[in-house]
Amino acid sequence: MMLLLALPLAVTFYLSVRSCALQMEVVTVTESSPFGTKEVVTQRAVLGPDGRALSVCRFVGLEYFRKVLGLDAAAVQAGSSAPPDAGGAAEAVEPERATEFMGALRFTLLYTFATTPFVLLLGFALALGVNQVGQRWRPMYISASLLPFIITPVVGALAIKWLFRDNGLVPYFLSQFGISLFWMAQAWSARLLIILYGIWHVVPFAFIVFYAGLQSVPQDSLEAARIDGANSWQRLWYVTLPHLAPLFVFVTLIHLMDAYRVFEPVMVLTQGAFTTSVQYLTYYILMQENNPYKASAAAVLTTAGIAVLLVPLLVRTWKEQRRGG
Amino acid sequence: MRQPARVWSLLLHLVLLGWLLLACLPIVWAAVISLRQYVDAFSVPVKWLAPVTFENYSRLWIDKGFYRNFLNTVIVTVGTVSVSLTVGCLAGYALSRYRGAVGFWLLLTALVFRSLPHSTLLPSFYVMFDALGIRNEFFTLILVLVAINQPFTIWMLRSFFVNIPQELDEAALVDGCSRFQAFRRVIIPVMWPGVVTTGLFSFLLAYNDFLLSSSLVNAERMTMPAAIANAISADSEAFLMQGVAGAVSITIPLIILVVLFQRQIVSGLTQGAVKG
Repeated sequence: MMLLLALPLAVTFYLSVRSCALQMEVVTVTESSPFGTKEVVTQRAVLGPDGRALSVCRFVGLEYFRKVLGLDAAAVQAGSSAPPDAGGAAEAVEPERATEFMGALRFTLLYTFATTPFVLLLGFALALGVNQVGQRWRPMYISASLLPFIITPVVGALAIKWLFRDNGLVPYFLSQFGISLFWMAQAWSARLLIILYGIWHVVPFAFIVFYAGLQSVPQDSLEAARIDGANSWQRLWYVTLPHLAPLFVFVTLIHLMDAYRVFEPVMVLTQGAFTTSVQYLTYYILMQENNPYKASAAAVLTTAGIAVLLVPLLVRTWKEQRRGG
Repeated sequence: MRQPARVWSLLLHLVLLGWLLLACLPIVWAAVISLRQYVDAFSVPVKWLAPVTFENYSRLWIDKGFYRNFLNTVIVTVGTVSVSLTVGCLAGYALSRYRGAVGFWLLLTALVFRSLPHSTLLPSFYVMFDALGIRNEFFTLILVLVAINQPFTIWMLRSFFVNIPQELDEAALVDGCSRFQAFRRVIIPVMWPGVVTTGLFSFLLAYNDFLLSSSLVNAERMTMPAAIANAISADSEAFLMQGVAGAVSITIPLIILVVLFQRQIVSGLTQGAVKG
C-alpha cells in the first residue's frame, strides 16, 4: 500500500519541479522532384539509438507553481525578464486563465461551506422525521434515500443536467411561473446547480448516520426528561442533540474531506466553463493540455490544501487512538 | 388529542414523500425519457405520456458495443473487490490485534491517504505507467483502484475486527490452531457480515470511479461510467439519448444492490471510518 500510494505522491512532487520536452533538431531537407530541387528547413524530433524520441528533462524549480498560481503573468507581460526557454517547450500563457488555481480553490471552498450546513440540517431533519413514522414505512424511506448517495456520481450529475436542460422538466415548471432561465448558460446558476447536486448527493449519508445515532439515544434519559416536564423541543435540545454531537462532528469532517474532492458535477454540469474545482483542474491540465508536469504542480498545491483541512481530523483520530478507541 | 396526532403524522408522511420524490426524481425521469425518442424526451410542453421505444438501448448496447464496457466493468470491479478484500482482511486483522506504535502510525497514514484527492496521484500514475509501458491494462487499473481503496478497506475491516473479542483467537490457539488457521477457520466465519459490507463498499468505489477509469485506459477498455462521459457534451440528439439509456443501465445494478443489501450498506455507513 505504501508503495502504491506514497511513491506516486513522491513522484508527483518530483514531477512538479521538472519539465520535459521532446528534443528537436533543425534539419534541412532536400526534396528532389521532376519539378526541381528545393530545400526545406524543418524541425524534427531527435531519435535515440533505440528508435524512440529523445526528450530533454530539466529542473524548472517553481516555474509551474507560479504558472498555476498565476504569479507568472506579470513576468510574461514584462517580456524579457522571463528566462529564455532552453528546452523549446512552447508554452503559451493565457492571461484569462492565469489565476487558475486560486479560482478553482475559491469555488471548491465555496462549494464546501455552502453545502455543509444544508447537509447537516436536512440530514438531521430527515432522520428525525423517519424516526417518527411507523416501523413498516422506514425501510422504504431508507432504501429510496440511499439512491442519490450510492449512484455513480457521473450518472447522478448527468441526470440532474438532463432535468435542468433546456426543454427539460425543471425549466418547464419554472416557465409556468414566468421564470425562464438557461441553467448552464450563466456562471451563478451553473454554480448553484453544482451545489444543489452536492446537497442531493450527500444528504442521504448524513441522514443514515443521524438515524442510526437516534436509535442509540438512551430511552431512560428521554423518559426522565419527560417526567421532569420537558416538552418535545426541550427533550430534543437538551437530551438528543448533545448525544448526537459527536456524529455532527463526524459528518462535518467527512463531508469537508469529500467536498474538497468535488469533481464529477463540475465536469458534467459546466465542463469547466464557468467554474473549476481543484481536482478538475489537475484532470484538465493532464488530459487537455497534456502536461503532467504542470498537472503535478496543481496536484501538489491540492495536497497542501487538503493538509490544512486534515489537521482537525488527524487531531481527533489521534485523541481517539490514545484513549484506546 | 387523537385528531391532531393523526394530522401531524399525515403531514410528516407528506414531507417525507416530498423528499422521496426529490431523491428519486432525477433517476426516475432519466429512466422515463430513456424509453423515448428525442422529440418526446425534451419537448415543450413536457409530455407525460409518450410512445415507448427501446431503440436507445438497442443502439447503445448492440450497435455501440456497450456490452464491452459492461464486461470491462465486471472485470475491473471483480478484480478490485477480490484483491482489496484479501489484502484488507489480513491487514485489518493484524492491525486490530497488534497494539504497538507502528500500527497506530500505519492507520494514521492510511487515513491521510484516504482523504487525499485522487487527482493528486494521477499525473504520476500517468507518467510512471507510460514509462513502464503498462498504461492501458486492466491489471494496472485494478492495481490503482485497489491502492486507492485500500486505506478505506483497512479502516473499515479493522473496526469490524476490533469488535470480535480477542478471547476467540486465544481459544482457537489453545485448541491447537496455528495463527493462520485461527484466522481462516474461526475469525473469518464470524467476520463474514463485515467482509460482505466492506466488499460492497469497495465494489461501489470501483464501480463508481470515473477519474481513474477514464484517464488510465483507452476507449476499448473503459468501464461503463467512463464510456458514458461522451454523453456529457453530446449535441447530437441520438447520441444524447444513448447517453440517457447508458446512465440508466449503469444505475440498474446499483438499485438492485440497494434493495438486496440495504441493511449492510446502512451498517457500513454507520461503522465510523466510512464513506470514500
